[in-house]
Parts: sequence; structure tokens; C-alpha cells
Amino acid sequence: MTGLVFDIEEFAVFDGPGIRTVVFLKGCPLRCAWCHNPEGLSPRPSRVKTIALCVECGTCRAVCPSPGGCTACGACVPVCPKNCLRIAGQSMMPQDVAARVLPNRALLEMAGGGVTFSGGEPLLQADFVIELTRALSTVHLCMETSGYAPEDVFTRAVDCMDLVIMDIKLADTREHRRWTGVGNELIKRNLEALKQSGKPFWIRIPMIPGVTDGEQNMRETAEFLRSARHLQKVELLRYNKAAGAKYAGLDMVYAPTFSEKEPPQTLVDIFKEANIPCAVL
Amino acid sequence: MRRTLTPEEWTEVSQRIQDPALTLAQRAALRLRLFLERETISRDMAERIPARRTLEAFPDIYAPGEKERLTAGRYVHEQGRVCNISSDWDGVLRNGLLPRRAVCTPESAQCIDATLAYADRYCDADLSRALREGAQTFPEALKALRILHFCLWASNVYHNTLGRFDQYMLPYYRADVEAGRLSEDEALSWIEELFLSFNRDSDLYQGMQQGDNGQSLMLGGCDSEGDCAVNELTWLCLTASMNNRRIDPKINIRVNKSTPPELFVRCTELTRLGLGFPQYSNDDVVIPGLIDLGYSLKDARDYTVAACWEFIIPGVAMDIPNIGAVSLAGAVDSAIRMKLIESPDYETLFQSVCAELRRRADELESSIQPLWIEPAPFQSVLMADPTHDVSEGARYNNYGIHGTGLASAVDQLAAVRRVVFENQTYTARAFLGALANQFECAPELKSLLRSDTPKLGRDPECESVADTLLDAFANAWEGRRNERNGVFRPGTGSAMYYLWHASELGALADGHMPGEPLSANFSPSLLLSDAGPLSVVRTFARPGVRRVINGGPLTLELSDTVFRNDDALAKTAQLVRMFILLGGHQMQLNAVSRQALLDAQTKPDQYRQLIVRVWGWSGHFVQLDKSYQDQIIQRTGYTL
Ligand code: SF4
Ligand code: SF4
Ligand code: SF4
Repeated sequence: MTGLVFDIEEFAVFDGPGIRTVVFLKGCPLRCAWCHNPEGLSPRPSRVKTIALCVECGTCRAVCPSPGGCTACGACVPVCPKNCLRIAGQSMMPQDVAARVLPNRALLEMAGGGVTFSGGEPLLQADFVIELTRALSTVHLCMETSGYAPEDVFTRAVDCMDLVIMDIKLADTREHRRWTGVGNELIKRNLEALKQSGKPFWIRIPMIPGVTDGEQNMRETAEFLRSARHLQKVELLRYNKAAGAKYAGLDMVYAPTFSEKEPPQTLVDIFKEANIPCAVL
Repeated sequence: MRRTLTPEEWTEVSQRIQDPALTLAQRAALRLRLFLERETISRDMAERIPARRTLEAFPDIYAPGEKERLTAGRYVHEQGRVCNISSDWDGVLRNGLLPRRAVCTPESAQCIDATLAYADRYCDADLSRALREGAQTFPEALKALRILHFCLWASNVYHNTLGRFDQYMLPYYRADVEAGRLSEDEALSWIEELFLSFNRDSDLYQGMQQGDNGQSLMLGGCDSEGDCAVNELTWLCLTASMNNRRIDPKINIRVNKSTPPELFVRCTELTRLGLGFPQYSNDDVVIPGLIDLGYSLKDARDYTVAACWEFIIPGVAMDIPNIGAVSLAGAVDSAIRMKLIESPDYETLFQSVCAELRRRADELESSIQPLWIEPAPFQSVLMADPTHDVSEGARYNNYGIHGTGLASAVDQLAAVRRVVFENQTYTARAFLGALANQFECAPELKSLLRSDTPKLGRDPECESVADTLLDAFANAWEGRRNERNGVFRPGTGSAMYYLWHASELGALADGHMPGEPLSANFSPSLLLSDAGPLSVVRTFARPGVRRVINGGPLTLELSDTVFRNDDALAKTAQLVRMFILLGGHQMQLNAVSRQALLDAQTKPDQYRQLIVRVWGWSGHFVQLDKSYQDQIIQRTGYTL
């Protein structure tokens, strides 16, 4: 079987314990207004352009078989004289991924790290991810998930991991739908399942100014997490002002409706009061 | 405060220095005296560390046309002057100049007198005594070092390095602390001031580009017994450099398998500032490598770096660690073009590569002799054996040979092996035809070579190719002796040669196109856009480097985000440490944001402060030529 991988980042320092190699899986069912990985959204390959390097020479357009709408056929990639085009989303077999990752196994181990599956939403390709966990069974495995996946799929994948990092964006269902495009009922049910699973897990909350960083959202989220025995920590992710940087290169538009300028609050104490270790990234 | 000589002064000084009745050594000594006499003593009252150069330019020792005449038929390395070596700071600071004055040449004695006369004008009795008889306190040692280093620049030698500062300064520091004369904080502020003083006039000491001035300083390492020599000053110097945030002195650190992990963390904090240093050298690889080349165990354990990264022994080496360079990428390319068709298999082709490397070594060897170097009577004073002019040689007189385009050379060989010999996708003839017309008739081969054939830094099969190639490079130079009876030390550095050599190349078997840059030093091909730091660290920690130990770091560009918090920073420090534990010889890490570099090209005004590592030194990005800027931007490809 094959999966669609849009990047393998060998040296990641924010995606689990130790030095991590992150496998980014393409496709996400959510549409968070602040998503900084637009090339991971579509479940199909996408053409990405580094606009700063493009000299508008038109060579790519001259070879394009479907000027009306890009099919990510890749024909334009090798002809660009500035090397600024690439296709995000390569079809890979588990052993292809293993061949990229495992030569560095000793280093990952030395650094107390391992492999993290991220996305997009890795559970959109759950079967592939589960196969990957078998191919990579000799390293510490972690998954970063939005928790938005059918419950049986979620549980099956969690079972294969050593650690799960799950996002909780908004506690309120209506707000969640407004800002991410989907409700959070499923996510909450999966969170309960995760709490019961006995797997160690981390929770991440993106700090989006005026959206997720309010006190009420933090308190409600902390409430969900109270008495979760295997919760190791909560990480608050600072909003990345460069989030929009990659959209234009995908012919997409970044149009956040929250205020990017205000610095987000980071209400670490709410979690500390609930006896949950909490750090800001 | 800067001044230029008036035309009358210039003429008068020139006539006196260039007196045909004087030998060159006499002229050099006289030149130093006249220079220092004309220097203005300008001292900000708040400054405790003396000396600031005020004369922008000063006449040379040659009359017009004389140098050309004298050097006709000789090989002139760079400016034809002593440079890029490391003084015996330890001995000079301990014993002062007077014992040396008793045994040195008359010209060296004149230089000593000129230096003392200059120093005496500061009316600092401690300084004057320290220079004559040796320093007794930490502040004295610092002031004396500054004066000596300043006078070294004034004496017209260049790339004046600072050696193992935390080692030779330690006795003064400890004595003062024990006697209760000095606190740690005071010592730190002294060091900061000394370090700042190296930036006062560094704009007058230009090398190839602004910033390339060779003021490198070494920390850490082991002592003469091989025991860990990291000490209080090691840490204080790192802190001072961090507090100052200036590009001089350029901090180097010697590490090994027993270096405390916290030191790597501290060094990574310095890297985070974006100054392009520290650069790490691995004792566990360098010392055995130097011993193999004939350095004594004691001397090898005392190594430091020359201006950039070349290993050199303080006080006893008149090595010329950058006398020439071999284009490894070019040698492999020539062998492929000339011998691929008649090679029945890869091994035969590789034998041709070896022959080509030997041929290029022959050519280079005969082109660098007879060597011309101007006498350097003041630098001679600062050598462990001051009895003769250092330009005539010292205990070690070895020549360093850079090897450029290693990654491209390896990738070319791996590509040909795969495409022509193993998979036989192309015949030798078709392959060479495509190279000859720069892939115009075979665009699919070009993209195959650029992205899909094995690349060093990603594909394990390149590792053995790299080992055999490094070995062949070492073999090509082994057994040769230079005219000073020194050996040749091939190495993995590139200096500016990588740009020059790249400009000589056409299309290459790794898909490189004419006009594209090669990677600098010991680094993956720029075509490898998906090189990951782990694979690079693993594959570049090659056992083969022990035989090509002239120096030349693996340069890793990491996104500045990996330094964002302590936890991430510690992981980055661990990456460096792993490279060392795996047997990597030298490494230098940069914190860069690609976006910042691209912005800096379009809005240079806003990025005047942006500092990047270029080859062995750091400079301000916006002041670099565009070709260097482009190369740096390209090598940050895998940081995003
Ligand atoms: S070929 Fe490359 S440089 Fe030319 S317009 Fe297309 S993307 Fe831009
Ligand atoms: S990948 Fe390039 S050539 Fe292919 S459809 Fe898209 S724009 Fe056109
Ligand atoms: S869940 Fe993550 S990948 Fe998906 S849209 Fe949200 S931020 Fe982007």
C-alpha cells in the first residue's frame, strides 16, 4: 500500500521528546483559519512555488498541459530555471519511508527521540500510518492528531503509538465549527478514549489571538483534562505570524479573520492550577 | 581619529623604508618603527585595554616595481607575506620580550624596541614591565596581548590569530583569583573589553571580503597530557562573546568525546546569536590525523586554527595551510569525460580518477615553487624559536591543499556508477553526449541526475564512494615533500576556491549546470534540497577525514526556530555532539532564516546587522558580493 507524504523533516525539535523525524501526511478534514501548513490540506498532490525566487519567465506556463487548473502533474517542475517549483505529496510505500528514516535510527535513539507522524491529519491515511508503525517499530513513535477521525480508526492508531500529541483548539462546539470548519463532538469523544487508553499523551492548544486564547476556552479545556492520568503535559503553541507565508505559492489566499497583530495570551497558570505541567512553545 | 599620511610624509617615509641599501628584513623592521612612531596614542579614558589603529595606510617596503622584479619566477602565495599562523602567545606573555631580544636577529630586536617604545607612550608602568619581563596579572596579560597583536598587524603580516586563549591566560586568571585581586565578574568585563578591542580597527584589516581578517580564537580541548582542558576561562570567553555580539574574535572550540554536554549547550546559545560561530573541531580525529602527518604528540595536542579552520600549532609552525586547492569535482569530471568510454567497469573509471588526482597534484606541486615570502622580523619574535626569521621556516613547514566540490565529485561518481554501469540506462557514449551539450537533448537525464541519483548526505551508497575518494585524494599527495621539506596536507576546506572552481565547470554528471555554485567546504551538494541534518551529520562523520585533516568544516544551516527555547536548543546541541561522537572532524552551525536572507537582498538597508558565515569566517550579509549571497541562500534550502 502507498500513502501520500508531503515532507519528511529529519530534525524536528518541537514534535515530541528528543530529536524527532517527522513524517508529514497529506490531507486534512479541518480548515483552521490559522493553518500554517496549507500544502498539507488537500488529500492530493499540490504544486508549490517559491515565489521569492520566481523571475516570471513563463517557462512553466509554456509546458503546462492544463493551464485552466493545476493537476500537479509535475511537468513544469524540471523546466523552471530558478528551481522554484516542487510537487508536495509523494506517493510512498512504508518501506520507502523506512529507508529514509531508519539509517538514522541510532542517532534518534542517542537523542532520546523517534518518529512523529503529522500532517495535515495523519488519520486521514490511518491504514497507511498503521502500516508505517510496523515498518518503523524499532523507534519511538508518536502521532500528532487533531483527533478528528472515526472512533475505531482513532483507537486503532493510538494503540500503535508510544505517545500521542493531540490538539484541542476550542472547547465550544459552535466556535470550533466556526474556526475550523468542523464541530468538535468527535474530537471530544476521541479525547475521552485517549484518556482511557492508558497511552501517555500531550495536549497542544494553538494560541490564536482572540479566538482560542481566552480564559474561558482555557478553563473549559483544562476541565476536560482534569484527572487524565496519562496526560504528561500541555503545550501552548504561539501563533506563528509567518503562517500565511506559503499560501500564495499554492495559489491559495490566506485571509485570517482574527487579529494577527495582537499578541496571544498564554494562560499557563490555569493548567498549573489543575496540576497539569504546561509550557509555551 | 583616523588619519592618512600627508603626501610629504608618505614620500619621506617611503624613501627611508625603501632605501636600496637596506635588506628587506631591515626595511620591515624600520617600517614597523616608523609606523608605530606615527601612530597617535588615542585612548578613550574609559578604555582599560590600549591601542586603536589610526593610520589608514602606510608605505610598503618595496620601491615601485621592485616587488615584481624580486618575485619574478617565484611563486607568491597571496600577498607574499607571512600570514595565517599562530604565535607563541603563551611564551611571550610569560617571559616578556627581553629574553627574546637577547637571542633574536638584529631586525627582530629593532621590532621589539619599536613595540616597547610604542607601548611606553601609554604611560602604563605595569604594561611596560609586562611586555619586557612577562605579565604577572590577568589585566597585564590582556593588555600586553592587545599591544603585541596590534603591533603584529602594524608589522604588515596578516590573518593574525589569537590561539588558545583560555589556556595561555589561565595562570594569570587563577593567580589573581586566588590572591583575591580579581573576581569572576571583573575578569568577564576585562575579557569583554579585550574582545571588543579586536573590533576597533578590524575594518582596516580586510581579506577577501570584509570580515575575513583571521582574528580567530580557540577555546577548550585537551592539555599536553590529553586531559580535558576546559576551564573557567572557556566559559567566561563564551559569555563575553555572547554579551558583545561582535564578529571578532571568531570563536572556535575544541571538543572531544569527553567534553561535557553542557559546553555544547553553551556553545549552541552562542550559535543562536547568529554570529556564525563557534566552530567545533574534534580532538579525537584531529590529533591522530596530525600525528599521522608527522606532528609530535605534544604539538598535536596543542593545535589551534589558522584564520578559518586549518589546523596549526601555535609558535612552532610556519605551515602554509591554504597554499593551493584541487578541484575534486573537476578531477572527477575530467576522468569521466576522458575515460568513461574506455572503462569496462566502475573500478577502472575510478582508477582514472586516482590518476587524474595525481596529475593535478603534480601540476599544483610544481606551480607553487620556488616560493617567495617576505621576511617578518616581528612575527619571528613571537615564535617559540625567535632566533631566525620565521619566513625561512619553523619546526613545521607543511603545505595545506584544499579540496573543493567533494560532494559533487562523490555524487558524479555515484551517478555514473548507477546510470551507466549498474542500470545501464544510458551508454557511456550517450551519457557523455548529454554532458557535452549540457543535457539539451536529454532533459530527462538532467532531472534524473539532479534529483534521483544518489547524493552524499542522503543516500548511504555515497558513503563508501566518499571514503575511497578522500583516500585517493590523500594518496595523491602522500610521500611528496615541499621545497621546505614539509609534507602536504590535503583537506576538506574550500575557501574561496569553491566559487572559482565552480566557474570553470560545465555540466556535470551529478546534474550540476554551468554557472551554478558548488557547496563550500565539507557539505552536501546544493542540488540536494531534501538533505536532512541527521543524514548529513551521519554521512559526513567519515573515517576517511583522518587522512585529509588540513581542516574544512561541515557547515549546517539550521532554521533559527530550532533555537527558540531551551529544550529545542539542547536538542540542537545534541546534534552537534552526535557528529563529534560519530567521528566528525569539524563543524560549524548557522542559525538562519531563509526568509530573512531573501528579504536582505531586496531590502539591504534593513538588514545591515545580519551576519552569516561565508566560508571560514563571518561577515555582514549585505556587504557580500551577490554571488556569495546567492550561494548562502541556496544552501539554506533545507532549513524550511
Ligand atoms: S519557470 Fe520558474 S521562474 Fe519561470 S515563471 Fe515559472 S516558476 Fe517562475
Ligand atoms: S504541475 Fe505544473 S505543468 Fe502540471 S498542471 Fe500544474 S502547473 Fe501545469
Ligand atoms: S488541523 Fe492542522 S493541518 Fe488541519 S487545518 Fe488545522 S492546522 Fe491545518
